[in-house]
Amino acid sequence: MTQVSPAEAPDRKPRSIVAGSAGYQPRYLKDRLAKIVVLIGGIGVIAALLLIFVYLLTEVAPLFAGAAFEARPAITVPDDGSPALYVAAEEQGEVGTRIGQSGVLNFFDLHSGALRAQVALPVGGIALQRVVDVAPERSVLAGGLVDGSVLIFQLDYKVTYPDDKRLITPSVVYPRGEAPLPFMPQAPVHLAVRSSDDALMLAGADADGNLYLKSFEVTTSLMGDSEVTESAVQKLPAPVKPDLLLLEPEMRWLYAIDKAAGKIAFYRVNGSEAPKLIEVADADAPIVDAHYLAGGISIIVAHRDGRLSQWFPARQQGGANEGETYLAHVRDFQLENGATPTAIGAEPRRRGFAVGDDQGRVSLFYATSGRLIHQQKLLDTSVAALAFNPRAQLLLALGTDGRLVATDVHNEHPEISLSALWGKVWYESYDEPKLLWQSSSASADFEPKFSMAPLALGTLKGAFYAMIFAVPIAVLGAIFTANFMSPEMRQVVKPAVEVLAALPSVILGFLAGLWLAPFVESNLPGMFLALLLLPLAVPTFGYLWMRAPQRVRQSVPMGWEAALLMPVIALIVWFCFLVAKPIEALAFGGNMQAWMDHVLGIGYDQRNALVVGIAMGVAVIPVVFSIAEDAIFSVPKHLSLGSLALGATPWQTLIGVVLPTASPGIFSAIMIGLGRAVGETMIVLMATGNTPVTDFSLFSGMRTLAANVAVEMPESEVGSTHFRMLFLSGLVLFLFTFFFNTVAEVVRSRLRRKYSSL
Amino acid sequence: MTSVQTKTQLSHGIDISSMERSQTPTRIEDESIAIEVDALNLYYGQKRALHNVSMKIPHKKVTAFIGPSGCGKSTLLRCFNRMNDLIDGCHVEGGLRLDGKNIYDRDVDIAMLRRRVGMVFQKANPFPKSIYENVAYGLRLAGINKKRVIDETVEWALKGAALWDEVKDRLDDSALGLSGGQQQRLVIARAIAIQPDVILLDEPCSALDPISTLKVEELITELKNNYTIVIVTHNMQQAARVSDYTAFMYVGDLIEFGNTDQLFTKPTKKQTEDYITGRYG
Repeated sequence: MTQVSPAEAPDRKPRSIVAGSAGYQPRYLKDRLAKIVVLIGGIGVIAALLLIFVYLLTEVAPLFAGAAFEARPAITVPDDGSPALYVAAEEQGEVGTRIGQSGVLNFFDLHSGALRAQVALPVGGIALQRVVDVAPERSVLAGGLVDGSVLIFQLDYKVTYPDDKRLITPSVVYPRGEAPLPFMPQAPVHLAVRSSDDALMLAGADADGNLYLKSFEVTTSLMGDSEVTESAVQKLPAPVKPDLLLLEPEMRWLYAIDKAAGKIAFYRVNGSEAPKLIEVADADAPIVDAHYLAGGISIIVAHRDGRLSQWFPARQQGGANEGETYLAHVRDFQLENGATPTAIGAEPRRRGFAVGDDQGRVSLFYATSGRLIHQQKLLDTSVAALAFNPRAQLLLALGTDGRLVATDVHNEHPEISLSALWGKVWYESYDEPKLLWQSSSASADFEPKFSMAPLALGTLKGAFYAMIFAVPIAVLGAIFTANFMSPEMRQVVKPAVEVLAALPSVILGFLAGLWLAPFVESNLPGMFLALLLLPLAVPTFGYLWMRAPQRVRQSVPMGWEAALLMPVIALIVWFCFLVAKPIEALAFGGNMQAWMDHVLGIGYDQRNALVVGIAMGVAVIPVVFSIAEDAIFSVPKHLSLGSLALGATPWQTLIGVVLPTASPGIFSAIMIGLGRAVGETMIVLMATGNTPVTDFSLFSGMRTLAANVAVEMPESEVGSTHFRMLFLSGLVLFLFTFFFNTVAEVVRSRLRRKYSSL
Repeated sequence: MTSVQTKTQLSHGIDISSMERSQTPTRIEDESIAIEVDALNLYYGQKRALHNVSMKIPHKKVTAFIGPSGCGKSTLLRCFNRMNDLIDGCHVEGGLRLDGKNIYDRDVDIAMLRRRVGMVFQKANPFPKSIYENVAYGLRLAGINKKRVIDETVEWALKGAALWDEVKDRLDDSALGLSGGQQQRLVIARAIAIQPDVILLDEPCSALDPISTLKVEELITELKNNYTIVIVTHNMQQAARVSDYTAFMYVGDLIEFGNTDQLFTKPTKKQTEDYITGRYG
């Protein structure tokens, strides 16, 4: 009677289901907070990934940006009343030099055109006929006088900082003395002069088509006395009528060019010996001008039809004349709008050059990348002369009317073009187009070779051999472990393999580089024997085990049979290395590498794809094994039971039901393994030898994109082409993994849809 | 009597034999025998799960196993096609004879045995393949690869499982898109495609809705004409509806086995009576 029904409980209030402050509960706050935190985390991950991508892109983008000219107002060059023979600018882009026919050097301000200084060459009133570059990077010039003698002089700019302001004082020095060197009996039509520390060579052509050659040699005795040996002037008739001469800085090659006939006579010269005519190359069109490129290997020839051709000495490939030097026509460039080139100016330190044409336009090319980088109209008249300053940030364009336009050149990365990145390029001093990565060298004249192809190929090669080694072992191992192994053994095996994944790759790398590579090298036949016998021995043992008497088979608990394989494998491996040496002595003359080299023509590097395949395979196996095993093990039991109940053998069940159902997981395991192999750095860094070769041989090394970044990043100058190329390597690597993961995800989701709702 | 009425109400038109039977109950002794279980003991490790079970499964009749959970009825069923072999530490003593041959003999080919003794599980387990391939799977296992033969057999099996009309236009669709009842009938079609002698059904309707259950039960009655059927069920009404003979098991013992009508109306053992009247279970 005293019982109170729940409805009448004193503290019970009616509860509203309407949301709002009345319905406020802290759990909603927690719910919302969790939602926000998860959202921020998720978006943060995507944003971080995008930022990495954007950062890589911004570092890489300047590589593909063109150049820009920033022209200063045109100035009238202060002249001395005689026609200009030569213009140049000094390093800072502040002072220009004009050399007139009278032998007077006018130094002028490149901004205002005001005369800064005037120097008369000690030519004794004799007019200059020609002024040519001797060593453009040091501003050493040679003037050919009308009387046939030659004066060598150097423009010198002293930079001082009085009152903390830069002051450039130009002057002229005479490294071979102030007296002109006697050379030809008459005025040269054209002249080529080269000098080195211990030699000087003069080449000239006269109006009758004769070539003159003279060399000076400095011999320094042990006592430090130097003596100059002067050869007699050689006069020889040329097969063409030369009116343009180019001499190699090393003084080994001479080009005598007949402009009107469009022919290039190519000579080998050797000091005071008579030059040897190698060939007369036909350039197919009348020639306007020709110029050496930096490095002194290539020449650029401008043709009247608007074409520019690059030539350098190379050796014949194949044919009857194999190995003989010839003048290779390497590549062509084309001026646009049907213009005719009038002048060439070459960058002093890179393989870039500018071409001026009759329309007053200047086109900037780069030889290695075969690329027209920029063109711009600078002058109203046709271009009479073009000159870069030594840093190639300033280009002078002199018009036929004596007006001069100085333009600042912003041309950071001319070396890169898509075709140079991925296609074969005929580099200087090579005999054919090649895919090369050679980013730096000891020489400043070096032509950098930035081909992504060897690196991309090396990456794929390393990953390929690693996968060849890892996938069968990992997937078959996963199938056995998930399907046939006893649970107790599985509990031991699976964590043991997964622990392998925790092994730092640097350890695998140095084991591979310092132990495995020498071991493989000295036991190559044994390795091959093991690779051949092991896959045969394992199934054979399995078959014998099946045929073994019941009594023997029952002595091993079910699912533990795999343990029996271990001594078998150990025995086979021991046997392989035992018989390897006698076999090597018997079949391969005691050294398999030498035999392969001689008989099969396969070279052998100690650090090769075989070593990397094994080492990186070991790194990949645990990844693939673990994911694939999970996938196979998680195939619902009722499916395999259903198959078994239909009279399928365990093997039929595996092939017909378990593997198809687990295939998305197995596939993604392989793809994740591939991603690991592609991005792996330390192992390939330490075990490949890092040679950027393009062959797919098992016995040669490779350089991968990742290892390349690791090797070269410390030595690259920030902001340089090389530096950005390394970022491009990173971007390509990123795209590789992105591609593989996307393919994996697409295939996986498709498979998963097929096998969904399990 | 109520159970018999339920049965005739639910599966009208196909039930001439049971009508006859309800008038004159048949006895196992009069049937021809498909499977003979002889003093079967089954151990999970040290634990004995079946105690000395002996029974005779009549030929082309439906035999139901009933009993509370854990009584060993599914275990006994799985002995018939040696599915228990797949369980670690499980071993069997005694005999289980199919056509007079002990299936636990050494020289028995388990795959062949399972081809003759088909099985349908509690949860429908179609393979993640097309409807067609699910039915053809067993045929391909048996080495039948002729397309014409397979086509005919698939159609025949699907018709036999009363599924043909529902799926004939989408044989190449995934079997996973079928409803639960359709999946269960597909699994039955898959089992009969290889033309077994015996079909074991392990609680085939426990996950199905009443309409699907009805269809599967009708199918079982239909199949009885050609196959010996053993069904494990939790549902006593179902046992009463579909089976000719019923075995009641309790904690590993076969308590009572006999004609279904008799067992449900006049059980001879007290435990049976307790169970069927709902006192436990």
